[in-house]
Amino acid sequence: MKYTYDDEADARTTALIRVMALFFVGIMIIAATTSPISTGTKEGERAPALEGKSYNGSGWSDFNLESYWDPMWEEGDITGQWVAIEFMDTDCPYCFNDAAQKISQFAYDFGGSNAEWDGAMVNFIASVAELNIDGHDSSRSEIIAFRNKIADSGETCNQQDCGSRQGSAHNFPYIDDLDLDNMKKWKVSGTPSYYLIQPDGIIAWSSVENQGESLSDAILTLVPRESA
Amino acid sequence: MDSNLQLMLYLIPTIVGLLLVLPLGRSIVTPFTERYTSLATERGRIFFGLIITCIAGAAVSFQTLWISSKISEGGNFCSSNAVFSCDDVIGNAEYNVDPILGLPWGGIGAVVFCILLYLVYSSSKEPNADWVTLHVKLGALITFSGFFVIGLLVYYEIQMEKICQYCSTAHLANIAAFIGFFRLMRMNDSSAWNES
Repeated sequence: MKYTYDDEADARTTALIRVMALFFVGIMIIAATTSPISTGTKEGERAPALEGKSYNGSGWSDFNLESYWDPMWEEGDITGQWVAIEFMDTDCPYCFNDAAQKISQFAYDFGGSNAEWDGAMVNFIASVAELNIDGHDSSRSEIIAFRNKIADSGETCNQQDCGSRQGSAHNFPYIDDLDLDNMKKWKVSGTPSYYLIQPDGIIAWSSVENQGESLSDAILTLVPRESA
Repeated sequence: MDSNLQLMLYLIPTIVGLLLVLPLGRSIVTPFTERYTSLATERGRIFFGLIITCIAGAAVSFQTLWISSKISEGGNFCSSNAVFSCDDVIGNAEYNVDPILGLPWGGIGAVVFCILLYLVYSSSKEPNADWVTLHVKLGALITFSGFFVIGLLVYYEIQMEKICQYCSTAHLANIAAFIGFFRLMRMNDSSAWNES
């Protein structure tokens, strides 16, 4: 036989207070001992994964953006290596002309080849998309022809010979994102788009949030230098 | 402290709780029934096993939430090249939050296990109150729903080809809690509820 209790303050109140106390103690411990950073593509957020096969000049291999990160890096540390990512399409006119010219120059200026640059090294990476636009059909061989600026390869970029693009041949990795996975993950709406990422994996600057400012200006402003 | 050693703080109570809610719990607690009289009854054993399980489940969920926060800072806790690598699972931004609200799984687990703890703890304090039936049924329903979440998270682990041992402990706690609540629900419908 069951008994019915009619007490005004029953065991539920006591249990609720005790369990809530336990819950809030747990939350407070987490709040006091951690400082979480959300993952996203806005400035101050942790860069999401950038995946796919990359071409580095000798062949296609798995790309892992996380391998660039140094969690122990501290602001101002000049030894940390920064990362600049360009989301581009080999058939996008701007990527083929001005952007190709600029990124060639930036990669030379800040990528470790320029003796005059006394700041932290910036690693350049291109993530190549195939935008859903007529005439923007691409392939891995087209990516190679664009990256290496190979003349008369038979590949067409922006309705022209890929070797006729502006700028010099690039020696940084080009990631195959023809399926647009990375573009969707990074919520990139158009090409070219640029991101500058700190050595600890936090996005320091993005062209989306700084319309009108160039990647080189961002590097000069944000990347620590010996002379600064 | 080594992360796998730390895991034992949660895994051992979860396994003890699981054993207590199973019918074989009687043989395990026999030596203690004289001192702890509540363990002498089937109902008392299940309540005790459930409370231990829910506390362990909440604790391991809090730890999981803590790990995901630490990973987001750039640190690591239980990273490994082997199949068992909770950092790879909890640190995966694609899978470490629920797909609807974007809440971290560890936080969801902590809230759910605290609710379960409230349901079982209050019921154990006044086992013959009229609301106990509702509490026990709610507990069974919540833990049964947990199986779908476990299925989804195991699917994620298969996708990543990694196993998160902390998450698996929370899954085990949910399974143990379901068995406990289900047995209490059955018992509550019968005269066995008040058998001494």
